[in-house]
Amino acid sequence: MTINRIPGIVAVFGLLFLLQEALINRVSFIIGGFSLYLAFFIVWIMQEERGSAVANGFIAGFIADLSPTLEAPFGLWSFVFTVVAYLIANNVRAALDSDLSPITISVVTVFGSFVASVMFLLSGAILGQEVGSASYILKELFGNAMWTFLLSPLYAPISIKLHRTTLTARNR
Amino acid sequence: MPARGSNRTRLLWISLLVTSLFLITLDLRGVSIISSIRSGVQAVLAPFQKAGSSIVSPLGNLFDDITNLGRTQSKIDNLKEENERLKSRLILNENIVGELEQLKGVLDLAGQARLKVVAARVITRGGTATFGETIVIDKGSNSGIKRDMTVIATRGLVGVVKSTTSNSAVILLMSDPSFRVGVRVAGTQDMGILSGGGDNRFTIEMLSATGQIKVGDVLLSRGSSGDRPFVPGVPVGKISFVESSAGQLTKQGRVEGFVNLDSLGVVSVVLDAVAGDPGDALVPRGPKPAPTVTVFVTPEPTPSE
Repeated sequence: MTINRIPGIVAVFGLLFLLQEALINRVSFIIGGFSLYLAFFIVWIMQEERGSAVANGFIAGFIADLSPTLEAPFGLWSFVFTVVAYLIANNVRAALDSDLSPITISVVTVFGSFVASVMFLLSGAILGQEVGSASYILKELFGNAMWTFLLSPLYAPISIKLHRTTLTARNR
Repeated sequence: MPARGSNRTRLLWISLLVTSLFLITLDLRGVSIISSIRSGVQAVLAPFQKAGSSIVSPLGNLFDDITNLGRTQSKIDNLKEENERLKSRLILNENIVGELEQLKGVLDLAGQARLKVVAARVITRGGTATFGETIVIDKGSNSGIKRDMTVIATRGLVGVVKSTTSNSAVILLMSDPSFRVGVRVAGTQDMGILSGGGDNRFTIEMLSATGQIKVGDVLLSRGSSGDRPFVPGVPVGKISFVESSAGQLTKQGRVEGFVNLDSLGVVSVVLDAVAGDPGDALVPRGPKPAPTVTVFVTPEPTPSE
């Protein structure tokens, strides 16, 4: 990844963070909630090449860690996003065709988002965070997965287009 | 060449993971710069959250409205009737009316307990998919709000102030899995610890082996030293289920909260408890039974022939 891309990536994820904190969090979804930030990130990473995916993951995770309402220790999202970025770029993305169909993008996004949430939960629990009842965890995980899938036609194309705009001529 | 690229990626990955772990360690060791960063971000976010709140408020409960729509014909008819009545009134923003009702309720509660409070609007909720339960309010340290102050709503306890900026504050809701509050049973005064579980159901564990609870018992906050983080006597919830297991040393049960934490519009932060412990004075009263009307029929004397 070239250094030139970093301001663009920070701007996109910063804006997304603002959108999540100021608008999306205010909507009370029927089951669980929806993390646009996480879903958008997974789609973004699927477009990324292996070398730069982890750096993108760390930047996005660091911005997510800035959330003032977060109970988890600072750095936990950075850790989770970096691991998930590596896993998707090196294992999932490599096993798929270069041209991703919309349904593949949706399914991988739901899967990636689910894995990231579980990893966040487990890492938090290891660090001594309270995790809540099993029914609450299942409701949150299921709700987020459902909304991530249902709303994917809305955010996935935007993520793909925005990703292209941050690419330098050399990356293209 | 690919092997070198792959090694470089792995090296970068490991470096970033170590950096993340370093940040986590700093935060867990209580390095103040980390909490300052989050407070700074909250100060920047607050105006956007306020703007977002005014945009999303009418749509915020859209999903609830959809799920309740068209349950029964009679309900629809009643709603139509009510709608007509509302149209004939002045055009008032439903949102504002709802908030005023909540504000009136919370001020009634505060007045009853002689609590010095500052009312605030909820401008956003905490991050979803983070397994935490928080809200952000539009008042902060400029209004006298400090960390670890009690937050109440119309029917009782909401949570505790987690952090503040000049014009906003983050509230840890009592439904958060990390939330704990000392409670006592109204009447018997038996004490226990109430824990959040993520949703609007809580668990209670009594402190002593002799402490008894039964379904319907009302729980009040026990209060903390210097009234922070909890002022005494605030209604918390009522027992909905008592676990009966032979191996338990102390009684345990499930609690239903008095406040619906999913639809908070206005809350109050307790700045000071003027009158001390109000005892059981704030226990919510049940609905008054309708007076029974007894009719005595006295037979009229018939005119004798």
